[in-house]
Amino acid sequence: MARKMLKDGEVAVADGGGGESYEYDLFVIGAGSGGVRGSRTSAGFGAKVAICELPFHPISSEWQGGHGGTCVIRGCVPKKILVYGAAFRGEFEDAKNFGWEINGDINYNWKKLLENKTQEIVRLNGVYKRILGNSGVTMIEGAGSVVDAHTVEVTQPDGSKQRHTAKHILIATGSRAHLVDIPGKELAITSDEALSLEELPKRAVILGGGYIAVEFASIWKGLGAEVDLFYRKELPLRGFDDEMRTVVASNLEGRGIRLHPATNLTELSKTADGIKVVTDKGDELMADVVLFATGRTPNTNKLNLEAVGVEVDQIGAIKVDEFSHTSVPSIWAVGDVTNRINLTPVALMEATCFAKTVFGGQPVKPDYRDVPCAVFSIPPLSVVGLSEQEALEEAKNDILVYTSSFNPMKNSISKRQEKSIMKLVVDSETDRVLGAAMCGPDAAEIMQGIAVALKSGATKATFDSTVGIHPSAAEEFVTMRTLTRRVSPASKLKTNL
Amino acid sequence: MATATTDLRFSAAATSAKTLDRATVRARRGRFLHHLASRGLHLDHLLPSPFRLRSPFSVCRAAAYAAEGDGEKYEYDLFTIGAGSGGMRASRFASTLYGARAAVCEMPFATVASDALGGVGGTCVLRGCVPKKLLVYASKYSHEFDESHGFGWKYETDPKHDWSTLMTRKNLELQRLVDFQTDMLKNSGVTLIEGRGKIVDPHTVSVDGKLYTARNILIAVGARPSIPDIPGIEHVIDSDAALDLPSRPEKIAIVGGGYIALEFAGIFNGLKSEVHVYIRQKKVLRGFDEEVRDFVTQQMSLRGITFHTEQTPQAITKSDDGLLSLKTNKGTVNGFSHIMFATGRKPNTKNLGLEDVGVKMDKHGSVMVDEYSRTSVDSIWAVGDVTNRVNLTPVALMEGGALTHTIFGNDPIKPDHSAVPSAVFSQPPIGQVGLTEEQATEKYGDVDVYTSNFRPLKATLSGLPDRIYTKLIVCADTNKVLGVHMCGEDAPEIIQGIAIAVKAGLTKQNFDATVGVHPTAAEELVTMRNPTRKVRRNSAGKTNVEALRQK
Repeated sequence: MARKMLKDGEVAVADGGGGESYEYDLFVIGAGSGGVRGSRTSAGFGAKVAICELPFHPISSEWQGGHGGTCVIRGCVPKKILVYGAAFRGEFEDAKNFGWEINGDINYNWKKLLENKTQEIVRLNGVYKRILGNSGVTMIEGAGSVVDAHTVEVTQPDGSKQRHTAKHILIATGSRAHLVDIPGKELAITSDEALSLEELPKRAVILGGGYIAVEFASIWKGLGAEVDLFYRKELPLRGFDDEMRTVVASNLEGRGIRLHPATNLTELSKTADGIKVVTDKGDELMADVVLFATGRTPNTNKLNLEAVGVEVDQIGAIKVDEFSHTSVPSIWAVGDVTNRINLTPVALMEATCFAKTVFGGQPVKPDYRDVPCAVFSIPPLSVVGLSEQEALEEAKNDILVYTSSFNPMKNSISKRQEKSIMKLVVDSETDRVLGAAMCGPDAAEIMQGIAVALKSGATKATFDSTVGIHPSAAEEFVTMRTLTRRVSPASKLKTNL
Repeated sequence: MATATTDLRFSAAATSAKTLDRATVRARRGRFLHHLASRGLHLDHLLPSPFRLRSPFSVCRAAAYAAEGDGEKYEYDLFTIGAGSGGMRASRFASTLYGARAAVCEMPFATVASDALGGVGGTCVLRGCVPKKLLVYASKYSHEFDESHGFGWKYETDPKHDWSTLMTRKNLELQRLVDFQTDMLKNSGVTLIEGRGKIVDPHTVSVDGKLYTARNILIAVGARPSIPDIPGIEHVIDSDAALDLPSRPEKIAIVGGGYIALEFAGIFNGLKSEVHVYIRQKKVLRGFDEEVRDFVTQQMSLRGITFHTEQTPQAITKSDDGLLSLKTNKGTVNGFSHIMFATGRKPNTKNLGLEDVGVKMDKHGSVMVDEYSRTSVDSIWAVGDVTNRVNLTPVALMEGGALTHTIFGNDPIKPDHSAVPSAVFSQPPIGQVGLTEEQATEKYGDVDVYTSNFRPLKATLSGLPDRIYTKLIVCADTNKVLGVHMCGEDAPEIIQGIAIAVKAGLTKQNFDATVGVHPTAAEELVTMRNPTRKVRRNSAGKTNVEALRQK
């Protein structure tokens, strides 16, 4: 592999050159989305790269992880698989009015789904290892920690330790689910365990209003459980557009999930009948499983960062500059461990920018504007750009809001009572579309193309000039001609949803 | 609303005010009308629910239009023949946005169209997009049942489909849509006349013998299936009939390789008929991207559809047991319960009186129009399938909207037929926008082609052989994305947003700069980093293809 120039003009020869000699040009701690992308791309620029990762296990711990990281093993992929599985229930219901008769019982074999899911993530774990191997990246199994600015110590499962030196160190250790501290918290599980439960719960209690909580509520409900969802605010999904949050809440309810807004859990205890859950409103209920989806903490406490002077914030996230550079010149960090926007494609973007900056000779910052994302509730929510509230926050001009709430064509036969809703937030002066949102079937797939348009500064006029694809749900995005409301920044309302 | 009325008065007053020069008046009026149009109604295409109905935009019509002069000579400012997508759009916009006196005539509703039957809503709502998509939804379930096994679902008995439930519910929905659209026309202030329209002279339409005069006549009569005249053709069905069969076909032959044939092949296959598709060419979907043509055929075959290529039908015979045989140039196959011909559509221009008033037609019978949808007779216009430009509902809507702007807005605008996205609701479906690789190479010479053929996450669990194919065609010079093609689950929904990007002339860099939505199939379109091949035309005009990567 041909060696290219490094950022600082040195030829990237690991052993010597600038006086000091290192075993590797880059040592990466953590082979999740960011780490794998960072090491592969760097290797592609000619760097000599090693990466360390913990042994594979579906449930992560200090000693277990696996190539692929959260996304592949404990996040996006297994979650989406369970969402697919759960969504069939609604399909069966809808099928009836289209003439389909399913006589007798419909059974659900959770073990089979779990086996197939595990098989798939094991396969993907293998794919990631192969990709790394093919890119010429040295893989080392064990827990990495930083010894000094250029040295990483890897503790192997058998307890043996070895040290490796590198010109640059990239920390990409991700984050882990964290449990709120209430009596009986040890009875609760996190999303890791929830993706690998031996038995499907009949009664599930979920604490949390974020996307993980909402997704598991949809999954378990779809697979047949009774689900109670508790969250602190009046609506789930804080940070998303308020109007869309309302729609998601009403869809969850419509699909049979019991919502408990503005409610916290205060105590869990074990009984013969299951876990007794007590709320701050004094209510009690019984559950087979209690899921805490109450946030995630960066995996930094075993990295020895303080000793080498890598600064972290109060929740333990590594502080980085716009180029993902930490406070130590030879140490960088990408992905969830930096707690910027915690999404796989963002970690990929950060890692690619890192590799280009350090080994590609082309310093480039990740761009966080108009990052689309999706919540795979059933039906899903997907957004890109600003929410109406954010737009008003930032606005100099009036904001034009276009919304469309419609009955999806499929529901005209199935008679499912569930509207899809779409929204465009437009700057009244520049005509630029500042934000787009959709809640309804296929929202995540639909939003990707909308994101391309938004990212490139598309105006409402550009949307309007695009011909629709008929009949689709997505065509609504290019046929929203009637203004729903005009809001001026002065009139913005403070809410506490 | 109040502002709009005021503006209109201003507009009318300004027209008569001698102190303002004509150009100023035109400019003001243009701005105002543009303003109106941008806030106007748009939902006269598919309206699955009354929920979508918005209050019509009513204006002071006398003020808005009488100023044009000779309006009073005629009963109507616009008389439209045919209340399908294009006709409804034009007449409603004429009335609500421009205050024109609009009438539309349409024949009584029937699921199968004829010279005397049609229905408010037209092909799209009654015999095309809508019922077709409803049947696609119904038929997709069998694939979903298959998929569900890999996700742990099991049923005691295999799901069975009851044909009559589906037909009853579909027809209830169609009737609801007819009523809904009829109400919408009326609420828009458009006069609806039931009956068959025929042009008598450049300003007169006869509906079943009664005469109506109009300053402008719009022909929006659409098209109908056309089938070749071969022996035994009386035994076959067309797409109108196929959407409303009394019972499920046991074994059906579908003749044709266009999108209608493929959509019905998917529908019947999903509803458990044995399906055979007969095409004259080597490949289905002439005009589509070559690789997409291959891919969709492969995927449909994997779902159980049999394709018979390079076969031209010669005759159909019915045997004593009622079963049909199809004779082609390659032999005869027996035992079909149904034979469907999806061999193209013909504009409905017979007996419209067009020849007599001098409206020119091409050899297929389509009405010839200029870029503004004006026919060879000044006062007669035509939009939609009857003009055989791009035969899609949203295009007819665009043409109808542009037409009212041109006639009544005093600001001629041309419908823009570039980068019109479209979908084929085959199973798996296709979505596409812009040029095919062949067209792009022809037009630009040097193009970079990015392709991806992958197994979606759902298929890894279901164990089914479903795949997704995506293709991006990029101009090597400008980096503009010239065309995007996709075949696989959700392709039509995915391509809509992409179409905005292509319409806006965005580059591959714009696509690359966009962060993916993970995990989706669509993210593939923004993560295709390396071209699969580079097509280059050398100085001699010969095209070289450098294959860079096989994925």
